[in-house]
Amino acid sequence: MSGMSPERVRRLFAQEAEVRLAELGRLLLRLEQNVDDETLVGSVFRELHTLKGSAAVAGLDEVSRMAHHLEEVVEEVRAGRRPITAEVIDMLLRGTDQLGAAVSGTQVDGPEVDSTHAEPATTNGLQKPRPSEARPPARPTTPPPVDRASVPAGARSDPPEGPAGGGGFIMVPVERLEELTRLVGETASAQLRVGRMLNDRFHVDPATCAEFNELSRSLNDLREHAMRAQMVPVSTITDQLHRAVRDLSRAQGKDVRWEAEGIDTEMDRGVLHRLSDSVMHLVRNAIDHGIESPAERERAGKQPRATLRLHAMQLGAEVIIAVSDDGRGIDTESVEREANRLGIDIEGLTQEERLGLSFRAGLSTAQFVTDVSGRGVGLDVVRTSVEAAQGRVEVRSEPGVGTEFRIIVPITVAVLRCLLVEAAGQRFALPFHRVLLSQAHEPSTVTHAEGRPVVWVDGHPVPVRPLGETLGLAGGGKPEGPVVVLAGASRRHAFGVDRLVGQRDVVIKALSPLLPRLPLVAGAGVEPDGSILVVLDPPGLIERAGQTGRTSGPKAPAVGPGAARRSVLVVDDALVVRELQRGILERAGFDVRVATDGQHALTKLAQERSDLVVTDIEMPTMDGFALTEAIRAHPSLANTPVLIVSSRASDSDRQRGMDAGADGYITKSAFDETSLVTAVNRLLGVTA
Amino acid sequence: MTDVHVLLLPVGADLYALPVDWACEVVTAPTLTPLATAPPVVIGLFNLRGQIVPLLDTAGLLGLGRVEATAFAVVVTGAHGLAALATTGFPRRQMLDVPTGPSDLPGTTGLYQVGQQVAALLDPPALLSPERVRDPAARLDLTSTGGG
Repeated sequence: MSGMSPERVRRLFAQEAEVRLAELGRLLLRLEQNVDDETLVGSVFRELHTLKGSAAVAGLDEVSRMAHHLEEVVEEVRAGRRPITAEVIDMLLRGTDQLGAAVSGTQVDGPEVDSTHAEPATTNGLQKPRPSEARPPARPTTPPPVDRASVPAGARSDPPEGPAGGGGFIMVPVERLEELTRLVGETASAQLRVGRMLNDRFHVDPATCAEFNELSRSLNDLREHAMRAQMVPVSTITDQLHRAVRDLSRAQGKDVRWEAEGIDTEMDRGVLHRLSDSVMHLVRNAIDHGIESPAERERAGKQPRATLRLHAMQLGAEVIIAVSDDGRGIDTESVEREANRLGIDIEGLTQEERLGLSFRAGLSTAQFVTDVSGRGVGLDVVRTSVEAAQGRVEVRSEPGVGTEFRIIVPITVAVLRCLLVEAAGQRFALPFHRVLLSQAHEPSTVTHAEGRPVVWVDGHPVPVRPLGETLGLAGGGKPEGPVVVLAGASRRHAFGVDRLVGQRDVVIKALSPLLPRLPLVAGAGVEPDGSILVVLDPPGLIERAGQTGRTSGPKAPAVGPGAARRSVLVVDDALVVRELQRGILERAGFDVRVATDGQHALTKLAQERSDLVVTDIEMPTMDGFALTEAIRAHPSLANTPVLIVSSRASDSDRQRGMDAGADGYITKSAFDETSLVTAVNRLLGVTA
Repeated sequence: MTDVHVLLLPVGADLYALPVDWACEVVTAPTLTPLATAPPVVIGLFNLRGQIVPLLDTAGLLGLGRVEATAFAVVVTGAHGLAALATTGFPRRQMLDVPTGPSDLPGTTGLYQVGQQVAALLDPPALLSPERVRDPAARLDLTSTGGG
């Protein structure tokens, strides 16, 4: 060899194998739909043959052996001695998975494909062909050329070209591309700074400076190309979706046709990567919950074969990925019942907003989780991950007709079009795709409903709250300032601001990993004058405003940063529970401190009061009962609400907690994010 | 005992010593942008040649209240990227000799004599952790398992 270390050779093989195995999976799925396509059979054979050879060169004898066994099976097919059945495709797909696992050093469930599978025997689901099933003998004995043109352009993932290959593709480490994009992103702010410097120091209007304009054009081109270098087609994830549809529908005895359209639509690799699990979840969810069995479909007067469709399209600076099925649709009555059970107010919600409830934590879990689609998570996780990519998710459903989920994300999150506003004396950026409208303050459009001010937007009352107050800033905002209406998954909320500054593309940077996740902040950018622009997170703002905006009494004036936030002291000796509760409450917008036992909690309360205490019972030094009693006995703490969260579920324990002075009692067996937040909100509402 | 090369950080009436290897640079009174909803120890964000750096309240991290006014920001690079510690006076280099005694504050590793003053040597990995930024007073008891 060319002096390359064995390690380097294996790394290269792993890269190649990844591409080839992906192609192999695609070919097998197409072959299942086109069993007479000899070209496809030849392509499958060739991929396996090349893999076998490359693995041997890399010294991976086991991988080579596995590829060889699969190759023998395909050879049987190619020679017309074995028909292509679903079981054969099953075996070849499973073998592909096992090859992938062997290359990456991971495990795959299921029996290994061994040499016995290659025999024309009746083992492992393979059948000897009956004469009538035998393939025509006229098959070529050598593999025909691969019909690459039939692979969608975007879906093609050719192996890397060698140095002599000339054009085509090269493999570049992702980290290098990301660093390139980051550096190019820096040029945007540097360019703005130079323009400002020209103006301030040399009194030259940058717009009239030819050199500056040329630099701007070049940098814009550079940014465009750097961004495109990170773009990948949606087809990058559709193969695994197709595979999941096939495997799941077979496992559940459902007949599902998979359609994928617009899969050459390109988007930022990072965005697509973040969305892939969400799309997979929606697809699995559709098969598990949406699509009926063939018999049920026939009874409903439908075709027994269901259709599950992914449609990707670019619309301006956004990409829409729609996953739709022609199944039974979402049972909105059940969603509403569940919402009522959880104490969610659904009065006044539109049909669309009611469907959007299925994305709420707790609700989505109750409605949509099974071991198949949910794997322990609900649609709220889909919403969370889509929102993390600065996107939004919508749902439309009609009983008996079907459901469509739409994930809408910006093509790239590196640069985001933002509306700049001022609130409480500070400038903030609001991602534009979340801004429904902004309008001047008109007293006639403001009224009051359900204990909070609302404005009329498109004939619907939308709650309104000063942005500064929502952020907990002093000087909440001018009552006569303009209003910006933001849209979330199932809610709209208006925010009063001091003034609208304008629109701008903001190069968004993540905040330091040293900082905790701030639910109201999406990131930050650098202004032309070098100052920092904080980019707010609209879904977080809407959620925060919804939690704290409802009050019919006069509001206490905010006195400084964090003044509007309520504080909770979490007391539990178990680190995991403590941190879990802290995370839940912080996400819900509370300031959270923690203590490891009752004594520690009292010390903390003596240093600084909390608005509410959430405590475990069984703890060292001082248990939760004793802590509750101590709080009730302390003159300055006696009015602090106490919520006990314990695994002790007996009535006697509950009664003892109440006797000690607790205001609420949740058992850990019934504990989830929603119940904790609901209980905390309820208790703080009582004492507000 | 090996001498410790440090940067002395005046914080109010106190003096803290940061091992010099941790310090990247000192910025004079950076222009700060408040970060709404951040923990109280985050004084704000500033722009360091295009990088967004959080300025942390040194006194707050140690559980000692708040720095009154930031005169200088000492930029520190750690496992979680860049951050800066606020000081109320000009930081200067110093060689620390033997410790004069143990320190009480979590996030410090000993007391040293500096002229007529005493400096507490900072423990940057302990001080510059997400847990401490989130809640400087928290005790993370990793050994407890809890029941209840």
